[in-house]
Amino acid sequence: MAYSMKAQADEDALLREESSLAEESLDLKSAQKHRHLYVSWLVAVALILLWWLVTAVHVFPPLDLPSPLHVAKDIYAISTTGYNGYSLLDNIGASTLRIAVGFFAAVILGVPIGFWMASNTIIFNAIDPVLQFLRPIPPLAYIPLMVLWFGTGQMSKFVLIFFCTIPMIIISAMSGVKSAQESRLRVAQVFGANRRQMFRYITLPSALPEIFTGMRIAIAVAWTCLVAAEMIAAQSGLGAMILTAGNQLRVGVVFVGIIFIGLIGYLMEVVIRTVERRMVPWKGKA
Amino acid sequence: MIAVSEVSKVYPSQVRGGRPLVAVDTVDLTVQDGEFVTVVGPSGCGKTTLLNLLAGFEQPNRGEIRLDDRPVVRPGPERAVVFQQPSLLPWMTVKENIAFGLTLREGTRRVDQIRIASMVETMGLTGFENHRPYQLSGGMQQRVAIARALIIEPRVLLMDEPFGALDAQTRSEMQRFLLSIWGKLHPTVLFVTHDVEEAIMLADRVVVMTPRPGRIADILTVSLARPRQWDLTLSREFNEYKRKILQVLRPPEERDPVRLA
Repeated sequence: MAYSMKAQADEDALLREESSLAEESLDLKSAQKHRHLYVSWLVAVALILLWWLVTAVHVFPPLDLPSPLHVAKDIYAISTTGYNGYSLLDNIGASTLRIAVGFFAAVILGVPIGFWMASNTIIFNAIDPVLQFLRPIPPLAYIPLMVLWFGTGQMSKFVLIFFCTIPMIIISAMSGVKSAQESRLRVAQVFGANRRQMFRYITLPSALPEIFTGMRIAIAVAWTCLVAAEMIAAQSGLGAMILTAGNQLRVGVVFVGIIFIGLIGYLMEVVIRTVERRMVPWKGKA
Repeated sequence: MIAVSEVSKVYPSQVRGGRPLVAVDTVDLTVQDGEFVTVVGPSGCGKTTLLNLLAGFEQPNRGEIRLDDRPVVRPGPERAVVFQQPSLLPWMTVKENIAFGLTLREGTRRVDQIRIASMVETMGLTGFENHRPYQLSGGMQQRVAIARALIIEPRVLLMDEPFGALDAQTRSEMQRFLLSIWGKLHPTVLFVTHDVEEAIMLADRVVVMTPRPGRIADILTVSLARPRQWDLTLSREFNEYKRKILQVLRPPEERDPVRLA
């Protein structure tokens, strides 16, 4: 009896000590969360200033390199009166739709294909050569085929972005499955997991961090494919806008297109990162 | 009751032309219900292999292992394992980790919350139910792992050097903690360790194993009274057991140092 009371007291002491330990580690985490965001803003402002400086001293003729103010005016003009019959919002909407459809189709199909390849050698041997063969082909090379097979409408753009992004999704899902730790698979075995439970509680969560990394790389690649996709007889879209403006030597409009592709790409990255933090809070910690 | 009869485990050589490795050689062991048995020996003595065979991760080349007269052929929840590394699932909270075995058995995450709450309390984890494993100290993580094993009420609890990765202070705290849990719930425990004092402190019986090939060299019945106090390690009786075990484990080169050269 005396022992058990003493043991209880010891346990309580132990608990208090450990709870303060845990709090300490939480403090460390919140310290890391202080992310010095002002640095990013400073760099953005500095870049714009540098750009303005280069234009102000006329390093390049203004026709080749418009000033920030000029581009700002172009942004306003395209937003209100439009360019080539489409407003800035139309163009952003058209491009974002193409990216979204192609990218999400790639994720929805690519993740299961990757899982399937990781769990079945026959499937792996069947798909892997095709995948590796298609991977180095530049998106521009697909354009004639896309037009022939899918016409000049939206479908050919969706398919092109889909083909450019799906290899990364498949590969990340596949290697994610393989990153499941032996010790965790054993835990599930010990506690009597069936195949479905093994997948749900061990394999899938183990694969998530790598799938998110794959998605983040793929979304950037999708934007780089966009200009190629919009070379296929597109009227609207940021890529199409850049191409038309380039032909008409409207460099300011080209800049507007580049800036918005960059900004929306960044925004999408931030969205995926936020979803990742919510779904994979343990990443890098265990 | 666990019955290990004439079990051997041989691994093929890792290098071409090398000799196969006899990890466990003709081991006989019986563990009674509610008994606390520790297996002690240096690394390479086959103690972890023996535990892996009991867990069902591996199959013996010869002999047989039975639990309640049923042969052990694969891992299963009637033989819960606590690993050296806590191996908790970081995508689950402490509570969900503890409930893991129940979740798998019942096929739903909605499991008996009262039972889990009582296990959380028994394990001194109150207030940490919704923490993630990586937010806990090593000792607490290992308590979660023990809770996860105990809650499914296994026939036997297999522990593979569970306190080996902890610092000395935490380790002795965890030993006392395990003893108090064992006093309350009386599970059958097979506990593997390389620490002789730990082996004596916890056990009803200590199985001493020696390497190359992995064999049981001796089995000691520890008749020290329970509950065991922290200063037990200083007593004469305790050190008598320790001396007996160390004599068995004494490295061979000490008997004949010349042969080393």
